[in-house]
Amino acid sequence: MLNYISYRVLQLIPLLIAISIIVFVIIQLPPGDFLTQYIAQMKLAGTEVSESTVITLQQEYGLDKSLIFQYIIWMKNILIHGDLGRSFQWNQPVADVIGPRLALTVIISLICLVFVWVIAIPIGIYSATHQYSVLDYVFTFIGFIGLAMPGFLIALIIVYFIFAQTGVSITGLFSPEFVDAPWNMAKVMNMLPRLIIPVVVIGMSGTASLIRVTRGMLLDELSKQYVITARAKGVPEGKLLFKYPVRLAINPLISTIGWTLPALISGEAIVSIVLNLQTTGPMLLKALMFQDIYLTGSFLLILSVMTVIGTLLSDILLAFVDPRIRFGGVGE
Amino acid sequence: MKSWRKSVIVLLVSALMLALVLSGCTDSPASTSPTPAQTTEASKSPEASKAPAGGGGQPAQLTDFKDSPFLAGKGLPAVKDRLPSDYKFTNEIPESQMKYEIGSYGGVLRTVTSAPNWDADVFVMNNEPLLNTPGILGDTITGNVLKDYTVSDDQKTFSFTMRKGLKWSDGKPVTTDDVKFTVEDILNNPELTPIFPVWLRGGGEADAAPMKLEVIDDMNFKLVFDRPYGGILIRLAIQGWRGYTELIRPAHYLKQFHKKYTTMDKLEPLIKEAGFQPGEWFNLFNDKDITNWELANKKAVGFPVLYPWIMAKTTESVTTFERNPYYFKVDAAGNQLPYIDRIQSTLVQDIEIVGLKTISGEVDFSRESAALIKMPLYRENEKNGYKALLANMHVTPTDIFLNQSFDDANWQKVVQDVRFRKALSLALNRKEIIDTVYYGFAKPGSIEDATFDLAGANKLLDDMGLKKGADGKRLGPDGKVFTIPFEVGAQAPDIVPLTQLIVEMWKQLGLNVTMKTIDQTLWTTRGTNNELQATMIWTHTPLWYMGDWGTQRWGTQWDLWRTTGGKQGKEPPADVKNLYKMINDAAAAKPEDAKKKVAEIKQIMKDNVYYFIPISEVKQPLIVNAKLHNIPNDTSFAIGANFSGEQFFFGK
Repeated sequence: MLNYISYRVLQLIPLLIAISIIVFVIIQLPPGDFLTQYIAQMKLAGTEVSESTVITLQQEYGLDKSLIFQYIIWMKNILIHGDLGRSFQWNQPVADVIGPRLALTVIISLICLVFVWVIAIPIGIYSATHQYSVLDYVFTFIGFIGLAMPGFLIALIIVYFIFAQTGVSITGLFSPEFVDAPWNMAKVMNMLPRLIIPVVVIGMSGTASLIRVTRGMLLDELSKQYVITARAKGVPEGKLLFKYPVRLAINPLISTIGWTLPALISGEAIVSIVLNLQTTGPMLLKALMFQDIYLTGSFLLILSVMTVIGTLLSDILLAFVDPRIRFGGVGE
Repeated sequence: MKSWRKSVIVLLVSALMLALVLSGCTDSPASTSPTPAQTTEASKSPEASKAPAGGGGQPAQLTDFKDSPFLAGKGLPAVKDRLPSDYKFTNEIPESQMKYEIGSYGGVLRTVTSAPNWDADVFVMNNEPLLNTPGILGDTITGNVLKDYTVSDDQKTFSFTMRKGLKWSDGKPVTTDDVKFTVEDILNNPELTPIFPVWLRGGGEADAAPMKLEVIDDMNFKLVFDRPYGGILIRLAIQGWRGYTELIRPAHYLKQFHKKYTTMDKLEPLIKEAGFQPGEWFNLFNDKDITNWELANKKAVGFPVLYPWIMAKTTESVTTFERNPYYFKVDAAGNQLPYIDRIQSTLVQDIEIVGLKTISGEVDFSRESAALIKMPLYRENEKNGYKALLANMHVTPTDIFLNQSFDDANWQKVVQDVRFRKALSLALNRKEIIDTVYYGFAKPGSIEDATFDLAGANKLLDDMGLKKGADGKRLGPDGKVFTIPFEVGAQAPDIVPLTQLIVEMWKQLGLNVTMKTIDQTLWTTRGTNNELQATMIWTHTPLWYMGDWGTQRWGTQWDLWRTTGGKQGKEPPADVKNLYKMINDAAAAKPEDAKKKVAEIKQIMKDNVYYFIPISEVKQPLIVNAKLHNIPNDTSFAIGANFSGEQFFFGK
């Protein structure tokens, strides 16, 4: 097992280097760079930008140097100083831009995750055990709506109705007087009710798919020989259900940790934009549009690392949970 | 289990694809650009031409001054000692546009922006130019940060007087030392300024010598040019939204980052801390030096300024500006401006959120993000405590450009023919445009002939020999269907609907017109590379002193030839060269002559239709808190009202 884990960890190093190169190149692929965009917009606004300003800005942002040199400096600073570079758009170190938003993103995502699990698993189990019952159809119907309707649309509709009915604009996680305030109990209490909408909206599609997965997995298990045997031997229905089939049916929760981890910190970009949440999703989207290379590069790199670690974690967990899993290529 | 794995992979891949597609679709959120003016515009070009009145236009000497209770108990000197003895009596808006009320202190002005480190409304409100032109009309030029000026008869020597006792926001005096530092140690230092700015050369022309600075004493200095350059005054006042930082920067603060005044031993740790490579002191200096267009930047906290409000605090989503205790303007009753104590600028994720916050009454001032297309929505929700006013726009709404230097002989042959351009202009139904896109709040453009005459247009095209093919589409000289491919970005909300309308109008002539909406970044890049054939964007034509005449867009290669002194690009035909010369002459001339020259340029525009300016005098919504006073009337530019923010106050 230990062999297996260290082998997997070693594998990660070339993988991460490859990812970092690909990320850097892809961000640089579109024509122009941050400055072209920045200067064009200043010109459109009627602000005159002299050649000299362009040159000094290029120097300041390091854009006058070659692509390879920019990449090497970036990697060197990450590896030696843990410095992710500077965001052009925010004019701050990347870590300072991402940091504060990360906490909020993780809070929202974690609550969403718990919300999804708490709602979806019981419903999935119920639907499977009461296949083709009225409630199964009702849950399935609602589930499909959640799956089919994009989150941002639901968010828009909610925002519209709340504004039309109450005149309150649901924008952001805090009411105006708390936006600027330092963290304290009052600020948390102010945030909690406002969390409901994003959590429900973001959680909705996840809930729907998880219901379907759990239902399908459980149905597969329920028709298997061991279940029939156990039932024939008179194991009580409740015990029978939870002892084996349900455990196997929630297997997807474990094997999807690989993508749950990055999802935790990336946030739902479009929903966050509509609801004006200060999470990392909109920041990444905007940074991509402005070719803010170090911000996007660093963030995508972090996401990749999370995915890789998450996959590793789920492999290890699966190996523990499910004895049928084999360690491909590595002898025990 | 295996099939399940497969489905997970399928799911994962599709999730990735979706994410890619979403991040690639930069279309709508691109409106969150870090810059200003989505504004479009319109306005009459100011006809009145008065002689520039030098000086601050002060009334009788004031002896008694008052300041905001906000500053009480902060251990500051008395207001009389903070104000310069040459204080400025505020004159931001001409009397015809606003009846000034003496205000009362207090309040927080809330603005909203969708771009990090930038809030156009705060920028315009805070920016202080060296000279002032009330209402940004350019009719008269008075003192602002500089107290007064005189011009030599040959228009080559400009003498300026500074305000006695003027102080930076940290209380340090502003003197000609600051000017000397800026010109000698920044502008004339090739490491900090690799190319000396063209606008500070004689006549504003690239081949002239850089200006010379002569410091006379603490309060007086001269700028000397090698060619007559009356246009420098309007450039110091408003053109290009230049601020006082062009000539005056806080030497006492910046010297600690300048190699000439601080040893490299002391600079190296600072360079390292700022994240630059060793020895790059110029990067450190540029990073610490906050010019006027960076005034909403996070790093501006603590930088000495002369603005009405200084950046006090900044968090991820809110930036707070507080009144500058040393601000140099007063009203007629001796009250130190500004009236409002604080500005709170909130950063949101998307420009649409600005609209939502506006209609729910959470915004006290909004010009930049307000769109005419949303006027009904604004009006409907006025009960939430704001007023939606209509003022004038300082740019044309959207002008149409056909790139006459696009690299295609067939295209050039057709587009460079003035009959073709006249025909296309005749085919524009301006009334329909005004009614459908601008709800009637605009007028036909006054620069070009506004006649709508389809028959006449068709006749011109027939005369040119653009015959119709079998499918009714006109063929170019090469015998193939002639196509006008519009490529537009959505920089302003009216660009896409207006282009759609114009595509239909030109199709009536039998022309094959297509359109594509592209990402703004791509639009910029394609434009710079001479790859755009037909497009639409606003210009600053209504401001006579900022008329750029779109030269960059209707003759990209020709304009490059002009701006590089013939080194790059293609040489334009004689008539275009003549136009360039007239534009240069107008820029260098003193204001009253310049306005005459601008009128001549307009005539040339009318004769040649180099590009299309179909609409003028569009209205721009201005969202203000219902209690806000000293807002100019609807004959003003919306951006002019924004500019005079230090005069706003909250009534009861």
